[in-house]
Amino acid sequence: MEEQGILERIKRIIGEADLVWVDDQLGDPYLVIPREKLRRLAIYLKGDAHLAFDTLMCLSGVHNMQEQDEMEVVYHLYSIRHRHQFIFKVKLERPAFFPHFYLRVDSVSGIWPAAAWMEREVYDMFGIHFVGHDDFRRLLLPTDWEGHPLQKDYQESDAYRGIGTAREEVEGVLAEESG
Amino acid sequence: MPLTTETMVLNMGPHHPSTHGVLRFILRTDGEVIHMCRPDIGYLHRGLEKIAEQLPYAQFMPYTDRLDYLAAMNCNLGYAITVEQAADIEVPPRAEYIRVLVAELNRIISHLISVGTFAMDIGAVTPFTHTIREREWVNDLFEELCGARLTYNYIRFGGVAFDLPDGFLNRLSQFLDYFEPRLEQYNRFISKNKIFKERLVGVAVISQQQALDYALVGPNLRGSGIDWDLRRDEPYSVYGDLEFDVSVGTSEFGVLGDCYTRYWVRIWEMEQSVRILRQCIAKMPEGPYLNKSKRKLEVEPGEIYVRTEAPRGELGFYLISQGGIRPHRLKIRTGSFSAMSIVEELGSGLMVADLVALIASLDVVAPEVDR
Repeated sequence: MEEQGILERIKRIIGEADLVWVDDQLGDPYLVIPREKLRRLAIYLKGDAHLAFDTLMCLSGVHNMQEQDEMEVVYHLYSIRHRHQFIFKVKLERPAFFPHFYLRVDSVSGIWPAAAWMEREVYDMFGIHFVGHDDFRRLLLPTDWEGHPLQKDYQESDAYRGIGTAREEVEGVLAEESG
Repeated sequence: MPLTTETMVLNMGPHHPSTHGVLRFILRTDGEVIHMCRPDIGYLHRGLEKIAEQLPYAQFMPYTDRLDYLAAMNCNLGYAITVEQAADIEVPPRAEYIRVLVAELNRIISHLISVGTFAMDIGAVTPFTHTIREREWVNDLFEELCGARLTYNYIRFGGVAFDLPDGFLNRLSQFLDYFEPRLEQYNRFISKNKIFKERLVGVAVISQQQALDYALVGPNLRGSGIDWDLRRDEPYSVYGDLEFDVSVGTSEFGVLGDCYTRYWVRIWEMEQSVRILRQCIAKMPEGPYLNKSKRKLEVEPGEIYVRTEAPRGELGFYLISQGGIRPHRLKIRTGSFSAMSIVEELGSGLMVADLVALIASLDVVAPEVDR
């Protein structure tokens, strides 16, 4: 099914309100949904016989700081049965105070089990909490690591368990950057 | 008095000969039976995604070699195609054929390592020496081509770094003539070996539903009987012009989706790669090998997700650009990552020795899991 057809079906189920369809950029179009609709949309996308998105290809976190401080969780879905794909995003504001109260989104690991590890990785790297996840902890970094490294304003601490993190600067590595 | 048993927590790894890199499993066992298996990863996490955000596009290419060091060409190729699509760079036909040629050659040696270490994990050390001997020949070919034997850094945006040296295609044909009968030899002395079969048939069966749920890709997905290969279903580069069959597991030799089927899928894929390589040699066009039109690379704002079929399955690059010479975000989705995530579910109920077979059959490479 074409993306427009998929979009029409989705609008009929979860309503048109607050949905933003972005297709004027380079690359594939995507849908931005409010976080309250995530679980309902995910169940529908997997369960509907005409859509049948059976695999979660990729689940990524993104941090933007240009216009406003916000996080995104991006879901790339593919249906091997029908050979079509669909991309949607959830955007989360990141306030300056108590951001961990606001960076929360429903887990889809009950719907696509592959999401279990992908969500743990997103938490590890971005600090986004996935509510309803069975086994929620860091994945790649040690449990006592401070901060979430893929945040744009991440500051590496000087040492981890007494091991210094300073590196020697190498002249000219970023020479191309001047342009 | 009734005989009682008790459970014990056992650490397997981080350094264990059968864990294919630095992986650790925390097992709760009762005798030889695993009750709970919890993979602990991250020992090879180098923060490649963070590094990508800090480097100009071209400078990240050598890092993709380290993404999966057994299949550096395929990782190079995936990244190059992503950036080319984003920046709209044309690739000359000769370069496309050279790329497919090196990618398939790399697939063969990656599967050779997989098959060899598989046998070694099961307890047969000799086959590994045979597969690594064949791999050495290909390493020599790659060294001739780009000077490196493991981390090639050979593919460039718009083509490849060097043209094929004189007589390269002849030497490649010689290798293929030598290699094809070898596969039959492997089948005689490992694939159809009785002990090898006893250890693998019916062990750690992954159903079709499980394979889809856990987003398994590549040989692991096809081993469960799902007919899906990006090279055929979403052709990139010149795969659309080449003839090959997609190797899908059958229940002919064992149970569909068991370790033995996944092993056979890799053997069949090597046969198909040989077929593709012969067509590349026959069809290799003349012409430029690199499109040098764009010296300074900038990508327009937007985002793109490109996936290619690496030896360990779908390798996806999700590139977000906000303009400029560096990506805003580069997410790398790898086959080994999803393969590792299913171990937790499959591991419980297996014997300890069968867990080793499971890891080997999934062909997990640790740097690709951790990135």
